[in-house]
Amino acid sequence: MRVALRGLTKKFGEVVGVHELDLEIRSGEFVALLGPSGCGKTTTLLMVAGIYRPTSGQIFFGDRRIDHLLPKERGIGMVFQSYALYPHMTVAENIGFPLELRRSVSNEERERRVREAAALVQVDALLDRRPAQLSGGQQQRVALARALVKRPDILLLDEPLSNLDARLRHEMRGEIKRLQKEVGITAIFVTHDQLEALTMADRVALMRDGVLQAYATPTELYARPVNQFVAEFIGTPPMNFFAADLAPRNGSLVARTEGIELALPAGPRGAKAPPTATVGIRPEHLAIVAPGQGEASGEVYVVEPMGREQIVDVQVGERRLRVIAPPGFVAKIGERVGLRFAPEQLHLFDPASGARLA
Amino acid sequence: MATVVERPPGSGRWPSLVPYVVLAVGTLPIAVLYAWLLYSSFFLRVEGFTPIGPFTLENWRFLWDPLSVPELRNRPPIIPLTINTFIFATVTSLVGVLISSMAGYAFSRLRFKGRRMMLGGVLLLHSFPSVTLLIALFVVLRTLGLYDKLAGVILVQTAFALPFGIWIMKGFFDNVPWDLEMSALVDGAGRLRTWWRIMLPLVKPGLLALTVLLFVEGWNQFLLPFVFMPSGSQQTLSTLVRGILGEGRFVDYGLLTAVGLYYIAPVLALFVFAQDQLMRIYAGGVKG
Ligand SMILES: Nc1ncnc2c1ncn2[C@@H]1O[C@H](COP(=O)(O)OP(=O)(O)OP(=O)(O)O)[C@@H](O)[C@H]1O
Ligand SMILES: [Mg+2]
Repeated sequence: MRVALRGLTKKFGEVVGVHELDLEIRSGEFVALLGPSGCGKTTTLLMVAGIYRPTSGQIFFGDRRIDHLLPKERGIGMVFQSYALYPHMTVAENIGFPLELRRSVSNEERERRVREAAALVQVDALLDRRPAQLSGGQQQRVALARALVKRPDILLLDEPLSNLDARLRHEMRGEIKRLQKEVGITAIFVTHDQLEALTMADRVALMRDGVLQAYATPTELYARPVNQFVAEFIGTPPMNFFAADLAPRNGSLVARTEGIELALPAGPRGAKAPPTATVGIRPEHLAIVAPGQGEASGEVYVVEPMGREQIVDVQVGERRLRVIAPPGFVAKIGERVGLRFAPEQLHLFDPASGARLA
Repeated sequence: MATVVERPPGSGRWPSLVPYVVLAVGTLPIAVLYAWLLYSSFFLRVEGFTPIGPFTLENWRFLWDPLSVPELRNRPPIIPLTINTFIFATVTSLVGVLISSMAGYAFSRLRFKGRRMMLGGVLLLHSFPSVTLLIALFVVLRTLGLYDKLAGVILVQTAFALPFGIWIMKGFFDNVPWDLEMSALVDGAGRLRTWWRIMLPLVKPGLLALTVLLFVEGWNQFLLPFVFMPSGSQQTLSTLVRGILGEGRFVDYGLLTAVGLYYIAPVLALFVFAQDQLMRIYAGGVKG
């Protein structure tokens, strides 16, 4: 089922929860709503679910406008951040509750489908327990089974993994992704963890303060962030930024600041190039080279080994740049080094608006 | 839903006995009084703690032979009175709980015009002494044709119970997470079914406790039946007990203890059976 949001806005009195949100989700697509706390992710989800009434704007499922429909008429399944399992019901009753409300489903069929859904998420051994007797991961699976049991057209997940420990979160990330493709359901999930969004979603909608910042595939978001906020938010460790003066030289542009001089291969064209810009480069696109070589020079500030790689902070003039170095790299604190910038991987942003320049 | 309470490691036998000892000493006088009441009802006279005369059921004969008891001769028969009292207490408690749970839900969950003012009003009414309203109520009941009828007193008693009931139930509903309700709506339930299938079961401790409290309040209520049902046949046990007490000079203490015990027995039984539920009215909250 295709989902389309048009100019969706929600105000709580003076507070704007979501502002003029336009989003198009293809049938069978897995979309992540990503953003820092309080940016309006849950509010968006609850409007799609029919719990909140939009202040203005429209919601379409397929070609049908549905924003006047009650939650029960929308054909959605939802997993809440708290899982919201009914404490007075057993696991089987919890999963069966959505079917209980349908007259067309007989008791036998309900039981069969409860067992099916439970088996799908591997909680079929727990059917007689109560939610209080389950671990967080098990509760999460039960909530997933309850959302899927009525075979909804659309699945909504509100931070489904945030209550799990790191290991389990990793495991469930893969499982939810596989399940979504297996069932072939259109799904929207909310997260504030960029890694979760990048690894699980087909497309990511990045929000800030109720406003959509970017909507693209994880690869695009990573490779060509449309503004500085997106660039900052996506990627770990985060991108390095520094202000630089732009000057033309030999028909191309040079970005210059204390200790750094960069030739921009595909700089902003023509005479419209602004005099200054914010330059961004990801730690993995910087390499440490011998002192005197490369485009910048500085000294090692700190080294953090991570096993597969090391994160090295290099002090260049006033600023500190983060670099990913291979595990074999050895350096003492204070040692002088050079830095090589991968020329194709520079990002330029307007210092005032944060918009992408090139 | 058995609750497992684990003894913290290292706590020996003795420290855990201390609270029991303290409580036992504290409640001893009350327990002794009730015990005294009980056994003195089986003797004609008791001086201090020493019974005078042999064991007898004489004091309890109002149950099977009310006409032989002079104090009861001009009064309505005790069995119909008991039934009346039961009806009075049960109906006020059930209707009170029903309305309180609906109003409490509305106050807890719905945002409507005048909500704050009405909540304030509820609180104000709760602290309003009912005596001050007696005359106004008299006029209202007369106009409605419910004066001197059980139904009328039930109406008044229920109304007086509502502020407390609504406030308590609102507190219980406030403790149920919003997510559960939203989840039920998404799962396909309507508002009414959500209330019935999800919300009510989760505030069951509150419902039970409130039922018991309102029942006891109705059972003990003296003023309203006394004022609004002056003619005998509709009265309740509390008016009878006061009547015997108020008789004045020649009080038959044996009879009084027996009638008194008869009167409080249901309340005591209720408290014993429902003490777990009653505790939760103070603890509040949803349990898994
Ligand atoms: N019921 C409400 N009443 C008033 N303001 C609200 C309400 N719900 C949300 N808001 C406000 O709307 C904004 C968006 O909230 P929302 O819950 O959608 O954030 P979120 O992106 O889900 O954040 P989180 O990651 O912390 O869950 C916040 O500023 C919040 O304070
Ligand atoms: Mg949220």
